[in-house]
Amino acid sequence: MSIADFMKRFPWWHEVILGVLLAGLLSVVGVVNPQFLNLKGQLLLSRHLWEFALLALPMTLIILTGGIDLSVGASMGMCAVAFGLCHANTGSLALSCLVCLLIGTAGGAVNGWLVSRMNVHPLIVTLATYATFRGLAEGTSQGESYSQFGDGFSQLARGMWWGVPIPAYLFALMAITCALYLSKTPSGRYIYAIGHNELATRFSGANVDRLKFRLYTFSGFMAGLATIIYVSRFDTAKADAGTGFELDVITAVVVGGTSIYGGRGNIGGTVLGLLLIHETRLFVSRQWQIEELRSIVIGLLLIGSLLLYRVVRPVHRD
Amino acid sequence: MKQNLMQRSLNSQECRTNRSASESSPLPLREMDGTVATINRWLSRTIGRALAVFIVVACLSDCSGETDNDSGAASPGGGSEKLTICLLPKIKGIAYFTSCAEGAQAAADELGNVELIYDGPTDGDPKKQAEMIEQWTVDGVDVICVAPNAPDVVANAMREAQDLGVIVLTWDADGVENARSFFVNQATAQSIGQGMVDAMVKDLGGPDVEGDVVIVSADATSANQNAWIDVMKPALEKTKLNLVTIKYPGENASAALADAQDVIKKYPNLKGIFGISSVSFPGAAEAVEQMGKSGEILVTGLSTPNEMKRFVENGTVKSVILWNTIDLGYLTILAAESLAKGELKPGDTTFQAGRLGEKPIEGDNILLGDILVFTAENIDEYDF
Amino acid sequence: MNALADIAIKLLRQREVGLVLLILLVTAIVSLVDPGFLDDRNLKDILVRSAPTVIVACGVMLVVVTAEIDISVGSLMALLAALMGLMISHNEWQLSMWIGIPTVLLCGTLIGLLTGALVTLGNVPSIIVTLGLLTAIRGATTLLMGGENIDGLPDELQTLSKVGPAGMPLGVWTAVAVLIVTQIIITHTPLGRRLFALGSSDYSARMTGLSATRLKLFAFAYTGFLTALATVVDVPRLPKIESGIGSGFELLVVTCVVVGGVSIAGGRGRLGGVVLSVILLTMVRPVLTFLDVGEAGEKWTKAIQGLFILIAVITDTVVSRSRRGGARNTSSRGTQVAVPRDATGGPAA
Repeated sequence: MSIADFMKRFPWWHEVILGVLLAGLLSVVGVVNPQFLNLKGQLLLSRHLWEFALLALPMTLIILTGGIDLSVGASMGMCAVAFGLCHANTGSLALSCLVCLLIGTAGGAVNGWLVSRMNVHPLIVTLATYATFRGLAEGTSQGESYSQFGDGFSQLARGMWWGVPIPAYLFALMAITCALYLSKTPSGRYIYAIGHNELATRFSGANVDRLKFRLYTFSGFMAGLATIIYVSRFDTAKADAGTGFELDVITAVVVGGTSIYGGRGNIGGTVLGLLLIHETRLFVSRQWQIEELRSIVIGLLLIGSLLLYRVVRPVHRD
Repeated sequence: MKQNLMQRSLNSQECRTNRSASESSPLPLREMDGTVATINRWLSRTIGRALAVFIVVACLSDCSGETDNDSGAASPGGGSEKLTICLLPKIKGIAYFTSCAEGAQAAADELGNVELIYDGPTDGDPKKQAEMIEQWTVDGVDVICVAPNAPDVVANAMREAQDLGVIVLTWDADGVENARSFFVNQATAQSIGQGMVDAMVKDLGGPDVEGDVVIVSADATSANQNAWIDVMKPALEKTKLNLVTIKYPGENASAALADAQDVIKKYPNLKGIFGISSVSFPGAAEAVEQMGKSGEILVTGLSTPNEMKRFVENGTVKSVILWNTIDLGYLTILAAESLAKGELKPGDTTFQAGRLGEKPIEGDNILLGDILVFTAENIDEYDF
Repeated sequence: MNALADIAIKLLRQREVGLVLLILLVTAIVSLVDPGFLDDRNLKDILVRSAPTVIVACGVMLVVVTAEIDISVGSLMALLAALMGLMISHNEWQLSMWIGIPTVLLCGTLIGLLTGALVTLGNVPSIIVTLGLLTAIRGATTLLMGGENIDGLPDELQTLSKVGPAGMPLGVWTAVAVLIVTQIIITHTPLGRRLFALGSSDYSARMTGLSATRLKLFAFAYTGFLTALATVVDVPRLPKIESGIGSGFELLVVTCVVVGGVSIAGGRGRLGGVVLSVILLTMVRPVLTFLDVGEAGEKWTKAIQGLFILIAVITDTVVSRSRRGGARNTSSRGTQVAVPRDATGGPAA
């Protein structure tokens, strides 16, 4: 087997590139300022990551089917308002969390229904619900912000168990579940199949509509879960929760090697992508202290990582 | 059985389908588009390499450049060492906070032992403010001066910074009670809201004037604007002016202009517009000017004088309300430095503020002074 | 009688007819509440505000027709506005308008071309390229402006964009001109035909010898040029140039294009629908003002805008389903073959 042949067949190029980039970044960081790599600091700042990370999991699954969900950020706004209103009226945190998850799931189900039953393109559906969800959140809450959920609740996002942030356990659990689902179950494999060729998947007997419906609903549920972490972290529930998250999440998933056309990618790549983006952001903003530079670097990283992938493997199967 | 089917469907991707052909051109097409394919390969390689080189160079050049500063930033200060003071605005990149930063830089230059970091979210997202406070805390800076865009959202981060030994003070807007040591108070929401209403009443010709007024805010969720509106509503009820509606165009100049034009058309009895964000104030003034209503409908709001000079000169705006933003930045950094050195302590009643002279302290508020009202007579005296 | 009903149904299935009906309905309702809505001044304002969206949507429509997408126009507009301000404002570099404006147009075209090159030659999906540029360009603009706003554009330009020849601001004239040119490109040139051919089937288009690269490069460059044009004619209307200009504009344009009936999968769409949907969406804000929805109602503005879009999308799906003759559960998925719907494991069992 020639080297070129090997390069063509090797299936983990994207993960390798991401790993190298991440290692390179961390070593540069380590040389520039070893303090950046301080574990305690890193764990503390990992807080900035968890909501994105939770949303990135269903987004990976959806993008794998060739779809997209632009409404996750707006959905978080809706969930946050539901949480705040429920807490203001009942005072029960558990009930508020439940309502938050339910509203998120309901929003996801609306997306899922429109995508799978009405057969509207997911980009259009979620563009429309993106505006609607945020608007509903602003309307029902009248722009009010809800706060004072108590110190105990704040600990959910800010606290540590055995030195590891609590949301990390939640993310690890969900990530492993999603990864196993994708690789070990038939419907997980069907997700890849849909992304490759939806028509062929239908012919092969998969219930594509039901699967898609469930994926978008799951995305809504995860938006609810991310909202709980978000509300706990900032001790504030407001209609503007999650503004701009959708683009950041998509960026992480795509940098993580999932093809926007569907059919290629995995949870491991997404996790690496999340880490790379998170570390790059931290590095850029702590090194230069220029907020604008951060968005420039992330934008270029997104385009650059895909270009780099083409360079290493110019011909590949999508 | 199912698995078998699955296998088959996955295998069937080996033979190309219509769609995947569009993504990466299969061989026969490649020949048809030969030149383009060559360019394609060449370009993708060159771009990739250029990018890689760029990243490496950027990283290396930075290593040499900035290390000193950051080792300074990294060591928790004290004594004669350089102090690192972070100034966090509500929104970075708008004229108001840029002028505050100018004053802050002047103070840092004057003191000599201060390393000033001025950074903040460019979209005014309070979540990003909280994240920056957390980052600076981890970096071990000495003082963080926060202008909270939503006090609740940043409260946790501020308390945590204090717990980890960073001095936290607020400026421009106050935070939650136990999350900061001092507040450099130039104006409270109360005095801003009341100040705008008073200015409007005065400009319209006294407390007996009747008519409609409109508020053009930012987003329905903007914390500051909502706090001012909460003050303005009862204040307006005490006058004979009637608040007909509040518009929320967001931080969008076109929408602010459009909304102001529409309310002018809709309410013929409109006497005044409050433009209470950095975008909606000039937007409302522009609308009044374009509709040819300068002088008939008055606009007022918060802005730096330079921004609104044009509208004050042509009579669309009679009063612009603000304080001396350069002095505000200056005072904040001076207070931060003395706090870090231990010269300024809770319980003090005055603060010696360099070129500003002595400033009074009420409780834990360091007072800058009254709000300024810029009018056609005095606006040329100010340049910021 | 039947023939009449047939015609009516056929008409209703045209996206343009539906949009016109919706616009008329909304206008009628508002005019009943407040006849001031029909005032010349107000109608003119709606046209003026639609102009930049129409101009840019013409370009984005061609991009979408080739089955690509461009979501970077909002940031691009801000960058070009900053560039224009820096060059021709009498507070900045004080260059002549005749140098500054062509440079802005050129820059817009070049950035469009770069986007196109990354998509076609770099082989990166357009949604990713433009998403990356959306963030990167916005950051670059804020850096470029250094936290200051720019005003003091030349008076001639300001007058033209606010008052304009024959009382109609420059933006409206430009929008009309761009519409005519784009319509001619679409219907009367081989270029337009090829763009649609490429969008409806990339494979067949390539097989007949069309260069996808060149066609897509054109579509992106055209969008970049039109964004620059919209910047030049519309931004001087605003009180000052700040780095937040055009935020959210990209999503508005894409929304208008899809609500206007352009298929996101490429190959289908008409300019008329796009123009009408721009006007419809631009009307939402003034309509709410004239309906006098009150303070609490104002906070529902975004929700109403969103629901408008949602309704437009759903009605279209329902209508296009009935066009396929009620074949609801089979061919409604845009495939030509009837596919069993709930058939998990069916053939296997």
